[in-house]
Amino acid sequence: MSVEPGRIHEHEHWVQDGVDISGHWNRMFDPRTIDEYPLDILERITGLPGGESLGWCYQCGKCTAVCPVDHVGDYSPRKIFRKVQLGMNLFDDPDLWLCTTCMNCLRVCPKGVNMIEIMPAVREQAVLEGNVPAELLTAFENTMRHGNPLGEPQRKRADWARGAGVPVPVIKGLGRRVDLLWFVECYPAYHPRGRDASQALARILTALELDFAILGVEERCVADSQRLAGETGVFEAMAEHNIGVMQRYEFDRVLVTDPHAYNAFLKEYPKLGGSFETIHYSQLLAPLMERLPMGNSLGLRVTFHDPCYLGRRNGEYDAPRRCLEAIPGVELTEMMRCRANGYCCGGGGGGMWLDGTNSEHMSERLSERRVREAVETGADVLAVCCPFEVSRFEDAVKSTGNAGRLRVLDIAELIDMAMTSESAGEAQGGGPPPMGASAPEQGE
Amino acid sequence: MPSDTVVVIGGGPAGLTAARAAAELGAAVVVVEARERLGGTPISSNYAALTPDFRPADEAMAEMVAALEGLPRCTVRTSTRVTAREGDAGAFRLTLASGDTTDAVEAAAVILATGFDHFDPGRETQMYGYYEYEDVLTLQDLEAQLKEHRVTVPSTGRAPEHLCFIQCVGSRDRRIGNTWCSKVCCGVATKEAIEVKRLVPSCKVFVFYIDMRMYGFWEDQIYWKAQEEHGVNFIRGIVTEVIRRGDKLIVKGEDTTMGRPVEAPMDMVVLSVGMEPSKGTIEMARVLDVPRESHGFIATVGAPLDTVSTPVAGIFVAGAAAGPKDLEDSVSMGGLAAAKAVALVRRHAAAALPVA
Repeated sequence: MSVEPGRIHEHEHWVQDGVDISGHWNRMFDPRTIDEYPLDILERITGLPGGESLGWCYQCGKCTAVCPVDHVGDYSPRKIFRKVQLGMNLFDDPDLWLCTTCMNCLRVCPKGVNMIEIMPAVREQAVLEGNVPAELLTAFENTMRHGNPLGEPQRKRADWARGAGVPVPVIKGLGRRVDLLWFVECYPAYHPRGRDASQALARILTALELDFAILGVEERCVADSQRLAGETGVFEAMAEHNIGVMQRYEFDRVLVTDPHAYNAFLKEYPKLGGSFETIHYSQLLAPLMERLPMGNSLGLRVTFHDPCYLGRRNGEYDAPRRCLEAIPGVELTEMMRCRANGYCCGGGGGGMWLDGTNSEHMSERLSERRVREAVETGADVLAVCCPFEVSRFEDAVKSTGNAGRLRVLDIAELIDMAMTSESAGEAQGGGPPPMGASAPEQGE
Repeated sequence: MPSDTVVVIGGGPAGLTAARAAAELGAAVVVVEARERLGGTPISSNYAALTPDFRPADEAMAEMVAALEGLPRCTVRTSTRVTAREGDAGAFRLTLASGDTTDAVEAAAVILATGFDHFDPGRETQMYGYYEYEDVLTLQDLEAQLKEHRVTVPSTGRAPEHLCFIQCVGSRDRRIGNTWCSKVCCGVATKEAIEVKRLVPSCKVFVFYIDMRMYGFWEDQIYWKAQEEHGVNFIRGIVTEVIRRGDKLIVKGEDTTMGRPVEAPMDMVVLSVGMEPSKGTIEMARVLDVPRESHGFIATVGAPLDTVSTPVAGIFVAGAAAGPKDLEDSVSMGGLAAAKAVALVRRHAAAALPVA
């Protein structure tokens, strides 16, 4: 029986269901001899600004134990270094897109090999050369064209506010200084489940009688994840727009829903001239929790997922927990990997837009692995405070067969539930629409 | 009146330090060196630069030798060997042979600083072709090139494009009988790798190793510097054999972090040969009747808290005669051996004074 030559695909590296089966197709169990250490790619990477530290790896392997991708595949900074030393062209290799820039490797690396800088530096070159997975390219193009990676219309960016049940002032119309300029970001503005959390947060801010306003349709994507995925141009275009708009208004602080925006406002926007005092909503609410009228005891066992960009990247582990512990009837339980060693949801560094591409190199999504860990705690609710996570984890709850066993709720939603008479068992019972579904019509 | 002389056997870093210290403490010192000139292995084996500070070996050793000049009662006897010992601590009588002439010297104490020899890579089970392929060198062979500010493939006279070091040659090997780590070869090889990269920046340099043993500050002074600033590539997994294919040397081994066999072509292979007791050390152990420890180096008593006292009262050891030592170990031992030798001189002098 003959096989059409066109149906034989040979890949230099291939991971199937988490097992590395790299090898020549007809002798895949016979390790291939190394007959050369071509160093051109290594030298090219270490020659890039930000890429230098790849050459510092001394192969201790500490990163491998904490790399979230290695848990579902065969990948870690140590392995990347060795493959590159052996000539792997990282500029045009599937391994380039697997890193979520979660920073757990750098946390443990004795040599300071910094994938948070290496990956964007190499990806930037890949982007310039056109070696970008199609789905990621779509997110880049949507961001450039529509100001958000979902491809939703810019003019609908503030539509979510109409369902909040409380006034959500837009700073342009307010015509005065506010305390908090709430930078809502894309998923909280457009994604159906993100909108739920935004509306809940609006009600919380109102209950606390805080002086806040949003940018409304003038706001565009912060684009930090696009930067980390290699699209420096889009990042700079978005940042320049946002900084320009924000500098037109007077406010004391920027309030962010999104830890990725938090990271950008703290570390990246200042480089481009936009320095704003910034606070994540969990940090805002933590000291104010006792002022909230929470008459409803939820009776829920809750476990909390640390967002990489709030925790490891920016050191905030306590504020979200203080919020949760102050909610009546919430029993907080921790997952095995939490705080500094929290497992990544897979959405960072462009991972949000690479699930299709990366699925070929992982046994399961990071979000699925994380949901299994949450289920193991016996929690009723997986609480989150990053807008990437609600959709990722809700998908993972379904795909791992845990629908009905674990609910995914933003901290703002939990607080909002405790403020209303709605019983915990019924809230969001119908489940969210799937990812990518268009936002419900809110009227023009 | 008993002798107040300390005889130092060996004029390398350990012996020169011991001699200087003993003389500065007031003893009479005789340095006995079998070779024609002082300076020890760094000079006789053509070291270019010392580890870890890259100071030219000639300059550093000349400074140590010069420090002896002008010291009162310090005599240097080059091309001289000790051929017999009589007597005990406080009253040794050593026979010195220089050419056809012999004489005797009275000494209260003796410091053995007879150093090490480089492992001979042609010996035993080594399969690196050191005596077959002229492009297979040892660390000290490369040092000789570096001393001339060049790195050239012996067979072609051209600069190498690919050069590798093979670590642990003659060390950590039960089959050869050398079960010890020679302690300095990781640092010396890495230092030489940096020097190769400085002289031939385009050369791709590899170090094949079992463990990189970069003690103390060598870690960032040499190892990290080689990797981070000079792009030296460290591959875990030792080379098993070197074979010739065309005009290339093929190094065969396993890349153990990748779990894959290696058959990589090199222009030049440098064997990181370890330390063995030198012929002089073995000869002096016999002549002076000083026991050797199980590895064949001069035995010490009271280790690890006394690094220089041998089982024979009045005979001390310093440097690589006692086992693999780096320069810092060697000079530190030299100082301690001098202190103990001079203390012994003074004890015997005090005991010989008439009771008042």
